[in-house]
Amino acid sequence: MEKVLTEIAEITADPYGYVAGLKERKEKKVIGCFPMHIPDEIIHAADLIPVVIWRGNEPVTWGHAHVPPYDCGITRSFVDDAVRGKLGFMDGMVFHVRQCLQAGEFPFIMERHVKPSYQKVLYLPALYPGDVMRDFTITELEGFKTSLEEFTGKKISDDNLNKSIEIYNKNRGLLERVYEIRREKPEILKAREVMQIVWSSMFMLKEDHNKLLTELIKGMEAKTVEPEKDKIRVIPVGCLCQTLQFDILDLIEDLGMIIPDDDLYIGSRYFANQVNLDGSPLGALADRYLTRTPVCPTKGVWQVHWGDEAIKKMRDNDARGIISIIVKYCPPHACYYPDFKSKMEKEGINAIMIEMEHEIITLEAIKTRLQSFVEIIGGV
Amino acid sequence: MDVKYKVNRLQTTNEIRPLVDKHWADLRTAKERGEKVAWASGPTFIFAYAMGMKCHFMAGYSAYCGGIGAGEEVLKVAEMTGDLPETCSYHRLHMGMGEAVARGIDINPQAILPMPDLMVAGRLCPEMSHYAEGLNRRFDIRVLPIDLPSVYDLKDQPRLREFVYRQFKEVVIPTVEEVCGKPFDYDRMSEILTVLKKVATLRNQCWEFFKTKPACWTLWDYGVSIAPVFYLMGNPAGIAYYERLLEELQERKEKGIPAIAPDGEKYRLYWDGWLPWAFLGKFMRKFTPNGAICLCGRYPWEFFPHPELIDPEHPVETWADLYYGEGRLTYHFSPHGTVDLISELIEDYSIDGLVMFSSKTCRIMNLSQPGVIDVLDKKYGIPGVIVEGDMIDPAMISDAQIETRLEALYEMIDSRRR
Amino acid sequence: MTIAIGVDVGSLCTKTVILDGGNNILSYDIMRSGHYYKGAAEESINNALKTAGLRKEDVGYILGTGYGRGAISSADGQVTEITCHARGATRLFPRVHTVIDIGGQDSKVIGIGDNGRVTNFVMNDKCAAGTGRFLEVMASALSVDIGEMGDLFFASDKNVEVSSMCTVFAESEVISLFAQGHKKADIAAGIADSIARRVVGMVGQVGLKEEVIMSGGVAKNAGVAHAIGKRIGTKLLIADEPQIVGALGAAIIASERI
Repeated sequence: MEKVLTEIAEITADPYGYVAGLKERKEKKVIGCFPMHIPDEIIHAADLIPVVIWRGNEPVTWGHAHVPPYDCGITRSFVDDAVRGKLGFMDGMVFHVRQCLQAGEFPFIMERHVKPSYQKVLYLPALYPGDVMRDFTITELEGFKTSLEEFTGKKISDDNLNKSIEIYNKNRGLLERVYEIRREKPEILKAREVMQIVWSSMFMLKEDHNKLLTELIKGMEAKTVEPEKDKIRVIPVGCLCQTLQFDILDLIEDLGMIIPDDDLYIGSRYFANQVNLDGSPLGALADRYLTRTPVCPTKGVWQVHWGDEAIKKMRDNDARGIISIIVKYCPPHACYYPDFKSKMEKEGINAIMIEMEHEIITLEAIKTRLQSFVEIIGGV
Repeated sequence: MDVKYKVNRLQTTNEIRPLVDKHWADLRTAKERGEKVAWASGPTFIFAYAMGMKCHFMAGYSAYCGGIGAGEEVLKVAEMTGDLPETCSYHRLHMGMGEAVARGIDINPQAILPMPDLMVAGRLCPEMSHYAEGLNRRFDIRVLPIDLPSVYDLKDQPRLREFVYRQFKEVVIPTVEEVCGKPFDYDRMSEILTVLKKVATLRNQCWEFFKTKPACWTLWDYGVSIAPVFYLMGNPAGIAYYERLLEELQERKEKGIPAIAPDGEKYRLYWDGWLPWAFLGKFMRKFTPNGAICLCGRYPWEFFPHPELIDPEHPVETWADLYYGEGRLTYHFSPHGTVDLISELIEDYSIDGLVMFSSKTCRIMNLSQPGVIDVLDKKYGIPGVIVEGDMIDPAMISDAQIETRLEALYEMIDSRRR
Repeated sequence: MTIAIGVDVGSLCTKTVILDGGNNILSYDIMRSGHYYKGAAEESINNALKTAGLRKEDVGYILGTGYGRGAISSADGQVTEITCHARGATRLFPRVHTVIDIGGQDSKVIGIGDNGRVTNFVMNDKCAAGTGRFLEVMASALSVDIGEMGDLFFASDKNVEVSSMCTVFAESEVISLFAQGHKKADIAAGIADSIARRVVGMVGQVGLKEEVIMSGGVAKNAGVAHAIGKRIGTKLLIADEPQIVGALGAAIIASERI
């Protein structure tokens, strides 16, 4: 188990190097997908390497001339990477331009600064009523598939697609198993380790990741841990599109809290919902996208409340509080947050919100907030 | 000695305020008369109008709030009720107004609207969906959502047109029929389009007077005249307004009266991004003393620049085509569409420089702006600057910073003229 | 050994309060934090001990709070300034439900339940807008002493708006208002109101519940306190020494731990 965790920590310490190496080893082209909704099973089925684009950990440099300071962390980091020439290993890029306004501007910038040989724009629809939404999602995915076929010169058969979906489903199932064990014994992994485990799935080949997970799970199942009863159980929520700074996760734990489960994008949201393998593969992928839960504010859902989902997760895990993590300048999350907050107030839930910036200048301020939160829950 | 520049004010534009005030006053009192009320975002209100509903429009309301000076207090209510300051100020404005009514917080009564029977939420940008979702969750308002993607590549246009047209037919029309309890009024939609066609045709004739050197009027004059091609759509008073405006501009041209005294502009500028509704005067005072005027922009050119394409005989089809056909209105939101459009504008209106207004709370055009300046500078050799601010929120505006950027633009234009 | 000490190491000032076994204040100390928080805390503790005529050996528990709470070497424990302000405020004004604390470099609003415990809070510590530092910069832009500024407010007879939230931009705005010939008093009032407008939003987020106490160094500025009271529509309670509310709360928690 320790060996696997060390390997994952090394991989996530330098995703750029890892993906470049992977590309060389496998002799396959790399296609970057902007998070969070691109069904990259289709890229996998095209015998290419799909990777979910990440927020790098370096401060923005040359990118300042290309991106306003009031854009979110992954936007700023991604543009900075692009203009600094760090994304040369990506042969292609895919953007779902309807996710948020910032995502909509990437194709232009990437075309100018990275010039990937393949670039695709998807217009996945909001989850609105009417058959037209599902039909259109399928149209989009068909177009996506065709464009990849044109890029590689090879047909993607339903059989290819189903095989890839199976591998992806297996990965989701294994990640779910990791979370299940963590729910039983939350002390077994550090929060940063859990995030690294999920994050590595986003840019490793799923079959490689599945091997790691299988070994990891064996170790986790065998390991006994001493329950730390005095720890305050909390559920972190949000942090859409990007990794949370590991320092913040460490801080949460250092302050006497423990995370038995989460509602983070690089967390349980990523592997939620399997793809049904009964019908047409594209239809099944469309249906996974069109699933209303976990509630995602980028999808235009209001029939279910994100707050209810978070509260349920909190209660299911005997947790005592909810920590909303909002990526600073993430409009979809910011627009939803007042409703989430009022739901917490109405239900009398201990809840707090912290804002995460790409370059943390205020870790001390986050510490004060989180420590006060612990004091409120602990009744100091 | 330095030239003292001064605005030559148009007479006709004084007539817009009563029309606009009447629109909002009618809306405020609609329920008393038993009329149905809709709120709308994106180009969707025409369906409510066709059914005789009184209708608010997201950006129109925001412009109006900014214009009557109610923006700051309403935004404050939004902040108090949990909205984060970086959230779209149009979103915050609506939430603030709704919360002020719900909680009995005192705000300018002119800024208060009746809660709608139906919220027609065109998701042109995701924020337009977010605020509709919020209204539904907080005030249980019925929402009719429509997804209206902007086009990134013209080859995507046909399938997006089909997607949107199907929503009009399969979702929008049946829903407004149900809410209003009567069949959809295609004839009324045709009438509205007939009036719109006339107004937009007249408006295009007025645009010609931006081309003259010196120009006869400014983009700001057009900014305050936008309602007749938008939320006053279908109102014949719009035709009369633009007829008079056209007459006045013709007279100006004949008499040689420029937009700014004494002899007209020194710098002819393009304005990118939203119009800064609450700060039109503030910006005017930064342009005029330097002999600068704005003449055209991406946003103000979205309002049906091709009236010849409006076909009132086929109202629903033409509405889809205006946005996703030759009219290509949504295409102007994509960086490529932007470059194409601005290129046309630079050529047509003899532009000397670009002012890229970057709203700190709306990210629809910001990210590509540095790249757009670069592309156009290489193509036409004209400079551009980014000016940061907001449509409504005074907390996002820094006078000193804006002045420095604009002065830098004037200096760049000067140095290239030498 | 029943002596309890609370030390509040803020960004601008360090405050110490000493309580006896009966929770009576024996002494307190306020000094500039400087750049060396660690040294400031020890120095402030020594000053307060000296005033009270006590020695270190007499002390049962030292609790640190404030921005530099982690840097107090002699502290036995640490609690955030949020919790401490709430406890201190409740001790001074038992019916308090809202604390507005504006310190040197941050501002916060704290909601307090009927049991005297924190229910919720908001903080602005991202920028200096509306804080003590902000006032210092504004005072220097107006070329007045920071102490004079609070009184200057009451000589105002005209509304002047200072709209910028950012300290840097507000400074240039103040300079330009000055250049336009506005009176110092009116500008000072405009500055006070700009702080008040910021605070109103924060109070709204927490939910205004009376009574309301204002603490922190800025509470000593009568103009600002008046402007905030006017904006939120209630009179603010202000302690005789508003800067030590956090340290007092820390001392109370310290005494519970002896």
